[in-house]
Amino acid sequence: MSPNDKKRQADSQIIARWVHEGDRVLDLGCGRGILLEYLQQKKSIYGVGVDIDLGKILSCVKRGVPAYQGDIGAILATFPDDSFDHVILSRTVEQLEDADSTLAEGLRVGRHVTVGFVNKGFWINRLNALFHGNRTVNEVYPKPWYESMPSNPFSVAEFEAFCDERKIVIKNRAYLSGDWRNECRKLPNLLAGYAIYDLSSID
Amino acid sequence: MNDSEQAPIIPEEGEVGFVEYQDFVSKEPFKFASGGKLPELTLRYETYGHLNAAKDNAVLICHALSGDHHCAGVHGIEERKQGWWNFMVGPGKPIDTTRYFVICSNVLGGCQGSTGPGSINSETGKAYQLDFPKLTVQDMVRAQSLLVDHFGIDRLHAVIGGSMGGMQTVQWAIDFPDRVGRYIALACGARHTAQAIAFNDTGRQAIISDPAWQQGSYDPQHGPDQGLAVARMMAHITYLSDVGMESKFGRKRRNADESKEHFDVEFEVESYLRYQGASFVSRFDANSYLYLTKALDRFDLHGPESLDATLSAVTAPGLVVGFTSDWLYPPQGNREIVESLLRLGKHATYAELAMDFGHDSFLVRAPRLYELIHRFLIR
Repeated sequence: MSPNDKKRQADSQIIARWVHEGDRVLDLGCGRGILLEYLQQKKSIYGVGVDIDLGKILSCVKRGVPAYQGDIGAILATFPDDSFDHVILSRTVEQLEDADSTLAEGLRVGRHVTVGFVNKGFWINRLNALFHGNRTVNEVYPKPWYESMPSNPFSVAEFEAFCDERKIVIKNRAYLSGDWRNECRKLPNLLAGYAIYDLSSID
Repeated sequence: MNDSEQAPIIPEEGEVGFVEYQDFVSKEPFKFASGGKLPELTLRYETYGHLNAAKDNAVLICHALSGDHHCAGVHGIEERKQGWWNFMVGPGKPIDTTRYFVICSNVLGGCQGSTGPGSINSETGKAYQLDFPKLTVQDMVRAQSLLVDHFGIDRLHAVIGGSMGGMQTVQWAIDFPDRVGRYIALACGARHTAQAIAFNDTGRQAIISDPAWQQGSYDPQHGPDQGLAVARMMAHITYLSDVGMESKFGRKRRNADESKEHFDVEFEVESYLRYQGASFVSRFDANSYLYLTKALDRFDLHGPESLDATLSAVTAPGLVVGFTSDWLYPPQGNREIVESLLRLGKHATYAELAMDFGHDSFLVRAPRLYELIHRFLIR
Protein backbone atom coordinates (compact mmCIF):
# COMPACT_ATOMS: atom_id res chain seq x y z
CA MET A 1 0.00 0.00 0.00
CA SER A 2 1.39 3.40 -0.95
CA PRO A 3 1.69 6.12 1.75
CA ASN A 4 -1.10 7.96 -0.04
CA ASP A 5 -3.37 4.93 0.12
CA LYS A 6 -2.52 4.59 3.79
CA LYS A 7 -3.45 8.17 4.36
CA ARG A 8 -6.63 7.85 2.32
CA GLN A 9 -7.68 4.96 4.50
CA ALA A 10 -6.81 6.48 7.85
CA ASP A 11 -10.49 6.91 8.53
CA SER A 12 -11.36 3.24 7.91
CA GLN A 13 -10.20 2.10 11.33
CA ILE A 14 -12.17 4.79 13.11
CA ILE A 15 -15.32 4.08 11.12
CA ALA A 16 -14.86 0.36 11.87
CA ARG A 17 -14.98 1.18 15.59
CA TRP A 18 -18.48 2.56 15.19
CA VAL A 19 -19.76 -0.30 13.02
CA HIS A 20 -20.99 -3.50 14.62
CA GLU A 21 -20.61 -7.09 13.46
CA GLY A 22 -23.06 -7.85 10.66
CA ASP A 23 -24.31 -4.27 10.30
CA ARG A 24 -25.92 -3.08 7.08
CA VAL A 25 -23.82 -0.31 5.56
CA LEU A 26 -24.49 2.00 2.60
CA ASP A 27 -21.43 3.88 1.36
CA LEU A 28 -22.38 6.93 -0.72
CA GLY A 29 -19.53 7.89 -3.01
CA CYS A 30 -17.88 4.55 -2.35
CA GLY A 31 -15.07 5.00 -4.85
CA ARG A 32 -13.17 1.77 -5.40
CA GLY A 33 -14.96 0.00 -2.55
CA ILE A 34 -11.91 -0.12 -0.29
CA LEU A 35 -13.73 0.96 2.86
CA LEU A 36 -16.56 -1.52 2.32
CA GLU A 37 -14.11 -4.32 1.60
CA TYR A 38 -12.31 -3.45 4.84
CA LEU A 39 -15.57 -3.46 6.81
CA GLN A 40 -16.61 -6.75 5.20
CA GLN A 41 -13.37 -8.30 6.37
CA LYS A 42 -13.32 -6.74 9.84
CA LYS A 43 -16.99 -6.73 10.75
CA SER A 44 -18.72 -9.10 8.28
CA ILE A 45 -21.05 -6.31 7.25
CA TYR A 46 -23.58 -6.34 4.42
CA GLY A 47 -22.32 -3.37 2.44
CA VAL A 48 -23.47 -1.60 -0.70
CA GLY A 49 -21.55 1.13 -2.47
CA VAL A 50 -22.92 3.93 -4.62
CA ASP A 51 -20.85 5.79 -7.16
CA ILE A 52 -21.52 7.72 -10.34
CA ASP A 53 -18.40 6.50 -12.11
CA LEU A 54 -18.32 3.20 -14.00
CA GLY A 55 -14.58 2.78 -13.40
CA LYS A 56 -15.23 2.81 -9.67
CA ILE A 57 -18.05 0.28 -10.02
CA LEU A 58 -15.66 -1.99 -11.93
CA SER A 59 -13.22 -1.80 -9.04
CA CYS A 60 -16.02 -2.70 -6.61
CA VAL A 61 -16.95 -5.70 -8.77
CA LYS A 62 -13.32 -6.77 -8.66
CA ARG A 63 -13.44 -6.61 -4.85
CA GLY A 64 -16.74 -8.43 -4.59
CA VAL A 65 -18.42 -5.35 -3.18
CA PRO A 66 -22.02 -4.85 -4.39
CA ALA A 67 -22.31 -1.41 -5.94
CA TYR A 68 -24.89 0.76 -7.62
CA GLN A 69 -23.91 3.12 -10.37
CA GLY A 70 -26.02 6.20 -10.19
CA ASP A 71 -27.09 9.30 -8.42
CA ILE A 72 -26.94 9.37 -4.62
CA GLY A 73 -30.22 11.24 -4.22
CA ALA A 74 -32.07 8.88 -6.56
CA ILE A 75 -30.97 5.69 -4.83
CA LEU A 76 -31.60 7.09 -1.34
CA ALA A 77 -35.18 7.84 -2.32
CA THR A 78 -35.77 4.16 -3.18
CA PHE A 79 -35.00 2.93 0.34
CA PRO A 80 -37.54 2.83 3.18
CA ASP A 81 -36.69 4.39 6.56
CA ASP A 82 -33.92 2.78 8.63
CA SER A 83 -32.87 0.39 5.85
CA PHE A 84 -29.26 0.59 6.97
CA ASP A 85 -27.40 0.75 10.26
CA HIS A 86 -24.87 3.15 8.76
CA VAL A 87 -24.94 5.47 5.79
CA ILE A 88 -21.39 6.62 5.11
CA LEU A 89 -20.32 9.75 3.28
CA SER A 90 -16.55 9.63 3.33
CA ARG A 91 -15.13 12.65 1.48
CA THR A 92 -18.44 12.89 -0.34
CA VAL A 93 -20.37 15.69 1.37
CA GLU A 94 -18.16 18.44 -0.09
CA GLN A 95 -19.08 17.27 -3.59
CA LEU A 96 -22.84 17.13 -3.10
CA GLU A 97 -25.09 19.58 -4.86
CA ASP A 98 -27.50 19.69 -1.97
CA ALA A 99 -25.66 18.48 1.11
CA ASP A 100 -28.44 19.55 3.46
CA SER A 101 -31.17 17.39 1.94
CA THR A 102 -28.84 14.47 1.21
CA LEU A 103 -27.78 14.35 4.85
CA ALA A 104 -31.42 14.49 5.90
CA GLU A 105 -32.21 11.62 3.51
CA GLY A 106 -29.20 9.73 4.85
CA LEU A 107 -30.54 10.08 8.37
CA ARG A 108 -33.91 8.78 7.23
CA VAL A 109 -32.46 5.74 5.42
CA GLY A 110 -29.76 4.99 7.99
CA ARG A 111 -29.90 4.85 11.78
CA HIS A 112 -26.46 6.46 11.76
CA VAL A 113 -24.77 8.69 9.23
CA THR A 114 -20.99 8.75 9.14
CA VAL A 115 -19.38 11.82 7.62
CA GLY A 116 -15.66 12.22 7.03
CA PHE A 117 -14.02 15.27 5.47
CA VAL A 118 -10.83 17.26 5.10
CA ASN A 119 -11.02 20.20 7.51
CA LYS A 120 -10.86 23.45 5.63
CA GLY A 121 -10.02 25.20 8.90
CA PHE A 122 -6.79 23.21 9.38
CA TRP A 123 -4.00 25.74 9.93
CA ILE A 124 -1.90 24.66 6.97
CA ASN A 125 -4.91 25.04 4.70
CA ARG A 126 -5.44 28.50 6.17
CA LEU A 127 -1.80 29.50 5.68
CA ASN A 128 -1.89 28.17 2.16
CA ALA A 129 -4.87 30.31 1.38
CA LEU A 130 -3.39 33.29 3.22
CA PHE A 131 0.06 33.29 1.66
CA HIS A 132 -0.58 31.79 -1.73
CA GLY A 133 -4.28 32.34 -2.16
CA ASN A 134 -4.48 28.72 -3.36
CA ARG A 135 -7.10 26.09 -2.83
CA THR A 136 -6.09 23.09 -0.74
CA VAL A 137 -3.99 20.52 -2.54
CA ASN A 138 -2.70 17.56 -0.56
CA GLU A 139 -1.96 13.83 -0.90
CA VAL A 140 -5.64 13.01 -0.94
CA TYR A 141 -6.64 15.80 -3.28
CA PRO A 142 -3.49 15.98 -5.40
CA LYS A 143 -5.10 17.29 -8.57
CA PRO A 144 -5.11 20.98 -9.54
CA TRP A 145 -8.43 22.81 -9.73
CA TYR A 146 -8.87 22.26 -13.46
CA GLU A 147 -8.68 18.47 -13.14
CA SER A 148 -10.82 17.91 -10.07
CA MET A 149 -14.50 17.57 -9.36
CA PRO A 150 -16.33 20.66 -8.13
CA SER A 151 -15.87 20.77 -4.39
CA ASN A 152 -17.34 22.84 -1.61
CA PRO A 153 -14.97 22.32 1.35
CA PHE A 154 -15.96 23.33 4.88
CA SER A 155 -14.45 23.43 8.34
CA VAL A 156 -15.03 21.50 11.56
CA ALA A 157 -16.69 24.58 13.08
CA GLU A 158 -18.98 25.07 10.10
CA PHE A 159 -20.05 21.43 10.11
CA GLU A 160 -20.74 21.34 13.84
CA ALA A 161 -22.76 24.55 13.59
CA PHE A 162 -24.80 22.94 10.82
CA CYS A 163 -25.49 19.83 12.95
CA ASP A 164 -26.52 22.06 15.82
CA GLU A 165 -28.92 24.06 13.66
CA ARG A 166 -30.49 20.93 12.11
CA LYS A 167 -30.74 19.22 15.53
CA ILE A 168 -28.53 16.41 14.27
CA VAL A 169 -27.03 14.52 17.20
CA ILE A 170 -23.27 13.89 17.09
CA LYS A 171 -22.94 10.45 18.69
CA ASN A 172 -19.22 10.09 18.18
CA ARG A 173 -16.51 12.20 16.67
CA ALA A 174 -12.84 11.81 15.86
CA TYR A 175 -10.33 14.41 14.77
CA LEU A 176 -7.10 13.42 13.06
CA SER A 177 -4.05 15.65 13.06
CA GLY A 178 -2.35 16.82 9.89
CA ASP A 179 -0.74 13.45 9.22
CA TRP A 180 -4.17 11.80 9.44
CA ARG A 181 -2.72 9.15 11.71
CA ASN A 182 -2.72 10.46 15.25
CA GLU A 183 -5.83 11.72 16.88
CA CYS A 184 -6.01 15.44 17.47
CA ARG A 185 -7.26 16.26 20.98
CA LYS A 186 -7.51 20.03 21.08
CA LEU A 187 -8.60 22.98 18.96
CA PRO A 188 -9.89 20.72 16.19
CA ASN A 189 -11.06 23.54 13.95
CA LEU A 190 -7.47 24.76 13.77
CA LEU A 191 -5.42 21.62 14.37
CA ALA A 192 -7.39 18.76 12.84
CA GLY A 193 -6.51 17.83 9.27
CA TYR A 194 -9.43 15.46 9.06
CA ALA A 195 -12.71 15.01 10.93
CA ILE A 196 -15.08 12.06 11.18
CA TYR A 197 -18.55 12.14 12.73
CA ASP A 198 -21.08 9.52 13.68
CA LEU A 199 -24.46 11.23 13.43
CA SER A 200 -28.00 10.30 14.33
CA SER A 201 -31.36 12.02 14.15
CA ILE A 202 -32.27 10.82 17.63
CA ASP A 203 -30.54 11.13 20.99
CA MET B 1 -8.61 5.79 -10.05
CA ASN B 2 -5.64 3.57 -9.83
CA ASP B 3 -4.22 3.00 -13.29
CA SER B 4 -3.27 -0.57 -12.54
CA GLU B 5 -6.96 -1.32 -12.12
CA GLN B 6 -7.69 -0.10 -15.61
CA ALA B 7 -5.16 -2.31 -17.32
CA PRO B 8 -6.59 -5.22 -19.30
CA ILE B 9 -6.58 -8.38 -17.23
CA ILE B 10 -7.02 -10.84 -20.04
CA PRO B 11 -3.74 -11.74 -21.71
CA GLU B 12 -4.35 -13.78 -24.82
CA GLU B 13 -7.58 -14.46 -26.61
CA GLY B 14 -8.34 -17.52 -28.66
CA GLU B 15 -11.31 -18.76 -30.63
CA VAL B 16 -13.78 -21.52 -29.90
CA GLY B 17 -13.34 -22.66 -33.52
CA PHE B 18 -15.58 -25.26 -35.13
CA VAL B 19 -18.67 -26.17 -33.21
CA GLU B 20 -21.61 -28.49 -33.70
CA TYR B 21 -25.06 -28.31 -32.24
CA GLN B 22 -26.72 -31.15 -30.35
CA ASP B 23 -30.35 -31.94 -29.66
CA PHE B 24 -31.59 -32.75 -26.18
CA VAL B 25 -34.87 -34.67 -26.25
CA SER B 26 -37.05 -35.08 -23.21
CA LYS B 27 -39.70 -37.74 -23.68
CA GLU B 28 -41.56 -36.60 -20.60
CA PRO B 29 -44.61 -34.38 -21.14
CA PHE B 30 -43.71 -30.74 -20.57
CA LYS B 31 -46.27 -28.64 -18.69
CA PHE B 32 -46.50 -24.89 -19.22
CA ALA B 33 -47.27 -22.37 -16.49
CA SER B 34 -50.50 -21.65 -18.38
CA GLY B 35 -51.53 -25.28 -17.98
CA GLY B 36 -50.79 -26.22 -21.60
CA LYS B 37 -48.76 -29.32 -22.33
CA LEU B 38 -46.33 -30.74 -24.88
CA PRO B 39 -46.04 -34.53 -25.18
CA GLU B 40 -42.25 -34.18 -25.51
CA LEU B 41 -39.63 -31.53 -25.86
CA THR B 42 -36.50 -30.89 -27.89
CA LEU B 43 -33.91 -28.23 -27.11
CA ARG B 44 -31.14 -27.57 -29.59
CA TYR B 45 -27.95 -26.45 -27.91
CA GLU B 46 -24.23 -25.94 -28.23
CA THR B 47 -21.55 -26.26 -25.58
CA TYR B 48 -18.01 -24.92 -25.44
CA GLY B 49 -15.25 -25.85 -23.01
CA HIS B 50 -15.30 -28.82 -20.65
CA LEU B 51 -17.48 -29.70 -17.70
CA ASN B 52 -15.16 -30.38 -14.77
CA ALA B 53 -15.41 -33.44 -12.51
CA ALA B 54 -17.23 -31.49 -9.79
CA LYS B 55 -19.67 -30.22 -12.45
CA ASP B 56 -19.54 -26.76 -10.96
CA ASN B 57 -18.05 -24.71 -13.79
CA ALA B 58 -21.07 -24.43 -16.10
CA VAL B 59 -22.20 -21.09 -17.45
CA LEU B 60 -25.61 -20.92 -19.10
CA ILE B 61 -26.09 -18.25 -21.75
CA CYS B 62 -29.65 -17.18 -22.57
CA HIS B 63 -30.18 -15.64 -25.98
CA ALA B 64 -32.34 -12.71 -27.07
CA LEU B 65 -35.56 -12.78 -29.13
CA SER B 66 -33.98 -13.28 -32.53
CA GLY B 67 -30.87 -15.11 -31.29
CA ASP B 68 -30.23 -18.82 -31.07
CA HIS B 69 -28.05 -21.52 -29.52
CA HIS B 70 -25.11 -20.67 -31.76
CA CYS B 71 -23.33 -18.01 -29.72
CA ALA B 72 -19.68 -18.77 -30.46
CA GLY B 73 -17.44 -20.33 -33.07
CA VAL B 74 -18.37 -21.36 -36.61
CA HIS B 75 -20.19 -24.42 -37.95
CA GLY B 76 -17.87 -25.01 -40.87
CA ILE B 77 -15.24 -23.53 -43.15
CA GLU B 78 -17.84 -22.14 -45.52
CA GLU B 79 -19.64 -20.31 -42.71
CA ARG B 80 -18.26 -16.79 -42.45
CA LYS B 81 -20.51 -15.65 -39.65
CA GLN B 82 -19.45 -16.44 -36.12
CA GLY B 83 -21.84 -17.08 -33.24
CA TRP B 84 -23.73 -14.03 -32.00
CA TRP B 85 -21.58 -13.51 -28.89
CA ASN B 86 -18.30 -14.78 -30.28
CA PHE B 87 -16.33 -11.84 -28.88
CA MET B 88 -17.54 -12.69 -25.38
CA VAL B 89 -17.13 -16.48 -25.43
CA GLY B 90 -13.86 -18.31 -26.01
CA PRO B 91 -10.45 -19.09 -24.57
CA GLY B 92 -9.21 -16.04 -22.65
CA LYS B 93 -12.44 -14.13 -23.29
CA PRO B 94 -14.71 -12.93 -20.45
CA ILE B 95 -16.75 -16.13 -20.65
CA ASP B 96 -13.55 -18.11 -20.74
CA THR B 97 -13.95 -21.57 -22.25
CA THR B 98 -10.68 -22.73 -20.70
CA ARG B 99 -12.32 -22.13 -17.35
CA TYR B 100 -16.05 -22.60 -17.88
CA PHE B 101 -18.30 -25.14 -19.55
CA VAL B 102 -20.60 -22.93 -21.58
CA ILE B 103 -24.11 -23.99 -22.55
CA CYS B 104 -26.43 -22.09 -24.86
CA SER B 105 -29.75 -23.53 -26.01
CA ASN B 106 -32.34 -22.33 -28.46
CA VAL B 107 -35.30 -21.15 -26.45
CA LEU B 108 -38.53 -23.10 -26.00
CA GLY B 109 -41.01 -21.68 -28.51
CA GLY B 110 -38.15 -20.76 -30.84
CA CYS B 111 -37.56 -21.96 -34.37
CA GLN B 112 -33.91 -22.92 -34.64
CA GLY B 113 -34.27 -26.55 -33.64
CA SER B 114 -36.00 -26.37 -30.28
CA THR B 115 -39.68 -27.21 -29.93
CA GLY B 116 -41.81 -24.30 -31.03
CA PRO B 117 -45.03 -23.55 -32.92
CA GLY B 118 -43.42 -24.78 -36.15
CA SER B 119 -42.49 -28.20 -34.69
CA ILE B 120 -44.45 -31.35 -35.42
CA ASN B 121 -46.73 -32.51 -32.64
CA SER B 122 -45.96 -36.22 -32.28
CA GLU B 123 -49.54 -36.88 -31.21
CA THR B 124 -51.15 -35.37 -34.30
CA GLY B 125 -48.34 -35.59 -36.84
CA LYS B 126 -48.93 -31.94 -37.71
CA ALA B 127 -47.17 -28.72 -36.77
CA TYR B 128 -48.45 -27.14 -33.55
CA GLN B 129 -48.85 -23.68 -35.01
CA LEU B 130 -51.47 -21.94 -32.88
CA ASP B 131 -52.09 -25.10 -30.83
CA PHE B 132 -48.74 -24.42 -29.19
CA PRO B 133 -49.49 -23.57 -25.55
CA LYS B 134 -49.35 -20.05 -24.17
CA LEU B 135 -45.67 -19.39 -23.54
CA THR B 136 -43.99 -17.49 -20.70
CA VAL B 137 -40.40 -16.67 -19.76
CA GLN B 138 -40.85 -19.06 -16.82
CA ASP B 139 -41.55 -21.89 -19.26
CA MET B 140 -38.41 -21.06 -21.24
CA VAL B 141 -36.34 -21.24 -18.07
CA ARG B 142 -37.89 -24.46 -16.84
CA ALA B 143 -37.17 -26.12 -20.20
CA GLN B 144 -33.52 -25.03 -19.89
CA SER B 145 -33.41 -26.53 -16.40
CA LEU B 146 -34.17 -29.93 -17.93
CA LEU B 147 -31.12 -29.55 -20.16
CA VAL B 148 -29.03 -28.61 -17.12
CA ASP B 149 -30.37 -31.74 -15.37
CA HIS B 150 -29.37 -33.77 -18.40
CA PHE B 151 -25.72 -32.77 -17.82
CA GLY B 152 -26.01 -33.79 -14.18
CA ILE B 153 -25.33 -30.21 -13.12
CA ASP B 154 -26.89 -29.29 -9.76
CA ARG B 155 -25.72 -25.71 -9.67
CA LEU B 156 -24.63 -23.43 -12.49
CA HIS B 157 -21.58 -21.28 -11.90
CA ALA B 158 -23.49 -18.49 -13.63
CA VAL B 159 -26.46 -17.63 -15.80
CA ILE B 160 -26.02 -14.74 -18.19
CA GLY B 161 -28.04 -13.10 -20.94
CA GLY B 162 -29.14 -9.88 -22.57
CA SER B 163 -32.58 -8.55 -23.50
CA MET B 164 -35.00 -11.53 -23.51
CA GLY B 165 -31.96 -13.49 -22.29
CA GLY B 166 -31.62 -11.03 -19.41
CA MET B 167 -35.22 -11.64 -18.41
CA GLN B 168 -34.63 -15.38 -18.48
CA THR B 169 -31.53 -14.85 -16.39
CA VAL B 170 -33.41 -13.00 -13.66
CA GLN B 171 -36.17 -15.62 -13.86
CA TRP B 172 -33.54 -18.31 -13.29
CA ALA B 173 -32.38 -16.52 -10.14
CA ILE B 174 -35.98 -16.34 -8.91
CA ASP B 175 -37.18 -19.84 -9.84
CA PHE B 176 -33.99 -21.80 -9.12
CA PRO B 177 -32.14 -19.91 -6.36
CA ASP B 178 -30.25 -23.06 -5.33
CA ARG B 179 -29.03 -23.74 -8.83
CA VAL B 180 -27.62 -20.32 -9.73
CA GLY B 181 -24.19 -19.32 -8.41
CA ARG B 182 -24.45 -15.79 -9.81
CA TYR B 183 -26.20 -14.08 -12.66
CA ILE B 184 -25.60 -11.27 -15.12
CA ALA B 185 -28.57 -9.63 -16.83
CA LEU B 186 -27.88 -7.10 -19.57
CA ALA B 187 -30.21 -4.60 -21.26
CA CYS B 188 -33.36 -6.00 -19.69
CA GLY B 189 -36.05 -4.89 -17.30
CA ALA B 190 -38.61 -6.08 -14.79
CA ARG B 191 -41.38 -5.71 -17.37
CA HIS B 192 -42.12 -4.17 -20.72
CA THR B 193 -42.99 -0.51 -20.88
CA ALA B 194 -46.14 0.51 -22.75
CA GLN B 195 -43.85 1.58 -25.59
CA ALA B 196 -42.19 -1.83 -25.81
CA ILE B 197 -45.60 -3.56 -25.87
CA ALA B 198 -46.79 -1.10 -28.51
CA PHE B 199 -43.85 -1.88 -30.78
CA ASN B 200 -44.29 -5.61 -30.31
CA ASP B 201 -47.97 -5.46 -31.09
CA THR B 202 -47.43 -3.40 -34.22
CA GLY B 203 -45.01 -6.12 -35.32
CA ARG B 204 -47.54 -8.83 -34.53
CA GLN B 205 -50.24 -6.98 -36.43
CA ALA B 206 -47.97 -6.78 -39.47
CA ILE B 207 -47.73 -10.59 -39.38
CA ILE B 208 -51.38 -11.27 -38.59
CA SER B 209 -52.66 -8.91 -41.27
CA ASP B 210 -50.50 -10.59 -43.92
CA PRO B 211 -53.01 -12.79 -45.84
CA ALA B 212 -50.37 -15.53 -46.00
CA TRP B 213 -50.54 -15.92 -42.23
CA GLN B 214 -53.91 -17.76 -42.54
CA GLN B 215 -54.76 -17.75 -38.84
CA GLY B 216 -51.35 -19.21 -38.17
CA SER B 217 -51.91 -22.33 -40.25
CA TYR B 218 -49.63 -21.37 -43.14
CA ASP B 219 -47.45 -23.80 -45.03
CA PRO B 220 -43.88 -23.13 -43.78
CA GLN B 221 -42.74 -22.63 -47.37
CA HIS B 222 -45.33 -19.89 -47.95
CA GLY B 223 -45.51 -18.05 -44.64
CA PRO B 224 -46.37 -14.40 -44.00
CA ASP B 225 -42.96 -13.23 -45.18
CA GLN B 226 -44.04 -9.67 -45.86
CA GLY B 227 -45.54 -9.24 -42.43
CA LEU B 228 -42.62 -10.86 -40.67
CA ALA B 229 -40.11 -8.72 -42.59
CA VAL B 230 -41.95 -5.53 -41.68
CA ALA B 231 -42.16 -6.65 -38.03
CA ARG B 232 -38.43 -7.25 -38.03
CA MET B 233 -37.64 -3.96 -39.73
CA MET B 234 -39.57 -2.05 -37.15
CA ALA B 235 -38.19 -4.04 -34.24
CA HIS B 236 -34.69 -3.55 -35.56
CA ILE B 237 -35.13 0.22 -35.34
CA THR B 238 -35.90 -0.17 -31.65
CA TYR B 239 -32.65 -2.10 -31.15
CA LEU B 240 -30.58 0.81 -32.46
CA SER B 241 -30.36 4.41 -31.33
CA ASP B 242 -30.99 7.71 -33.03
CA VAL B 243 -27.34 8.70 -32.62
CA GLY B 244 -26.13 5.29 -33.76
CA MET B 245 -28.30 5.32 -36.90
CA GLU B 246 -27.30 8.87 -37.69
CA SER B 247 -23.61 8.06 -37.53
CA LYS B 248 -23.97 4.79 -39.41
CA PHE B 249 -26.32 5.95 -42.17
CA GLY B 250 -27.15 9.61 -41.87
CA ARG B 251 -28.84 10.58 -45.12
CA LYS B 252 -26.43 8.59 -47.23
CA ARG B 253 -28.02 7.56 -50.51
CA ARG B 254 -27.89 4.15 -51.97
CA ASN B 255 -28.34 5.05 -55.58
CA ALA B 256 -28.55 8.36 -57.38
CA ASP B 257 -30.37 6.75 -60.30
CA GLU B 258 -33.43 8.95 -60.85
CA SER B 259 -34.99 6.59 -63.37
CA LYS B 260 -35.93 4.11 -60.64
CA GLU B 261 -39.38 3.77 -59.18
CA HIS B 262 -40.37 6.50 -56.80
CA PHE B 263 -40.50 4.21 -53.73
CA ASP B 264 -37.56 1.98 -54.42
CA VAL B 265 -34.67 1.95 -52.01
CA GLU B 266 -33.19 5.41 -51.99
CA PHE B 267 -31.47 5.86 -48.63
CA GLU B 268 -28.80 3.64 -47.17
CA VAL B 269 -30.87 3.07 -44.03
CA GLU B 270 -33.78 1.73 -46.13
CA SER B 271 -31.52 -0.72 -47.81
CA TYR B 272 -30.12 -1.84 -44.47
CA LEU B 273 -33.52 -2.40 -42.90
CA ARG B 274 -34.97 -4.16 -45.93
CA TYR B 275 -31.99 -6.48 -45.88
CA GLN B 276 -32.55 -7.11 -42.16
CA GLY B 277 -36.20 -7.90 -42.83
CA ALA B 278 -35.49 -10.20 -45.76
CA SER B 279 -32.73 -12.15 -44.05
CA PHE B 280 -34.82 -12.55 -40.91
CA VAL B 281 -37.63 -14.18 -42.91
CA SER B 282 -35.22 -16.83 -44.13
CA ARG B 283 -34.35 -17.94 -40.60
CA PHE B 284 -37.35 -17.16 -38.43
CA ASP B 285 -40.84 -18.57 -38.09
CA ALA B 286 -43.66 -16.02 -37.91
CA ASN B 287 -45.64 -17.94 -35.28
CA SER B 288 -42.53 -18.23 -33.11
CA TYR B 289 -42.18 -14.48 -33.38
CA LEU B 290 -45.78 -14.03 -32.21
CA TYR B 291 -45.36 -16.40 -29.27
CA LEU B 292 -42.02 -15.05 -28.11
CA THR B 293 -42.98 -11.38 -28.30
CA LYS B 294 -46.18 -12.11 -26.43
CA ALA B 295 -44.23 -13.93 -23.71
CA LEU B 296 -42.04 -10.87 -23.35
CA ASP B 297 -45.00 -8.49 -23.15
CA ARG B 298 -46.56 -10.62 -20.41
CA PHE B 299 -43.33 -10.92 -18.43
CA ASP B 300 -43.89 -8.83 -15.30
CA LEU B 301 -41.79 -9.16 -12.17
CA HIS B 302 -44.01 -6.57 -10.47
CA GLY B 303 -46.80 -9.13 -10.37
CA PRO B 304 -48.72 -10.74 -8.85
CA GLU B 305 -47.81 -8.88 -5.66
CA SER B 306 -44.83 -6.55 -6.07
CA LEU B 307 -41.32 -6.44 -7.52
CA ASP B 308 -39.85 -6.86 -4.03
CA ALA B 309 -42.08 -9.87 -3.33
CA THR B 310 -41.06 -11.53 -6.62
CA LEU B 311 -37.36 -10.90 -6.16
CA SER B 312 -37.33 -11.98 -2.52
CA ALA B 313 -36.63 -15.55 -3.68
CA VAL B 314 -33.27 -14.56 -5.18
CA THR B 315 -30.19 -15.64 -3.24
CA ALA B 316 -27.34 -15.42 -5.76
CA PRO B 317 -25.24 -12.29 -6.29
CA GLY B 318 -26.32 -10.48 -9.43
CA LEU B 319 -24.99 -7.93 -11.87
CA VAL B 320 -27.43 -5.92 -13.96
CA VAL B 321 -26.09 -3.76 -16.76
CA GLY B 322 -28.06 -0.99 -18.45
CA PHE B 323 -27.09 1.01 -21.51
CA THR B 324 -27.66 4.74 -21.71
CA SER B 325 -28.80 4.75 -25.35
CA ASP B 326 -31.20 1.80 -24.93
CA TRP B 327 -34.66 3.24 -25.42
CA LEU B 328 -36.37 -0.15 -25.78
CA TYR B 329 -35.28 -1.39 -22.34
CA PRO B 330 -34.13 1.89 -20.82
CA PRO B 331 -31.64 2.10 -17.93
CA GLN B 332 -34.44 2.84 -15.46
CA GLY B 333 -36.00 -0.60 -16.05
CA ASN B 334 -32.66 -2.28 -15.37
CA ARG B 335 -31.94 -0.08 -12.39
CA GLU B 336 -35.23 -0.82 -10.67
CA ILE B 337 -34.36 -4.53 -10.50
CA VAL B 338 -31.20 -3.72 -8.56
CA GLU B 339 -32.94 -1.11 -6.43
CA SER B 340 -35.43 -3.75 -5.38
CA LEU B 341 -32.70 -6.34 -4.71
CA LEU B 342 -30.81 -3.84 -2.56
CA ARG B 343 -33.97 -2.98 -0.64
CA LEU B 344 -34.23 -6.69 0.05
CA GLY B 345 -30.64 -6.80 1.31
CA LYS B 346 -29.39 -8.93 -1.60
CA HIS B 347 -25.97 -8.85 -3.19
CA ALA B 348 -26.59 -6.91 -6.39
CA THR B 349 -24.65 -4.54 -8.59
CA TYR B 350 -25.87 -2.08 -11.19
CA ALA B 351 -23.56 -0.72 -13.85
CA GLU B 352 -24.45 1.56 -16.72
CA LEU B 353 -22.51 1.83 -19.95
CA ALA B 354 -22.56 4.91 -22.11
CA MET B 355 -22.60 3.45 -25.61
CA ASP B 356 -24.30 4.69 -28.77
CA PHE B 357 -25.58 1.36 -30.00
CA GLY B 358 -28.97 1.43 -28.32
CA HIS B 359 -30.51 -1.79 -27.07
CA ASP B 360 -28.02 -3.84 -29.09
CA SER B 361 -25.09 -2.35 -27.14
CA PHE B 362 -24.69 -5.63 -25.27
CA LEU B 363 -23.86 -7.29 -28.59
CA VAL B 364 -21.05 -4.83 -29.25
CA ARG B 365 -17.55 -5.45 -28.07
CA ALA B 366 -16.63 -2.79 -25.52
CA PRO B 367 -13.65 -2.96 -23.13
CA ARG B 368 -15.67 -1.92 -20.09
CA LEU B 369 -18.38 -4.51 -20.71
CA TYR B 370 -15.67 -7.07 -21.25
CA GLU B 371 -14.08 -6.21 -17.93
CA LEU B 372 -17.33 -6.17 -16.00
CA ILE B 373 -18.36 -9.63 -17.13
CA HIS B 374 -14.90 -11.09 -16.74
CA ARG B 375 -14.52 -9.77 -13.21
CA PHE B 376 -17.98 -10.65 -12.04
CA LEU B 377 -17.71 -14.21 -13.32
CA ILE B 378 -14.30 -14.83 -11.83
CA ARG B 379 -15.06 -13.60 -8.30
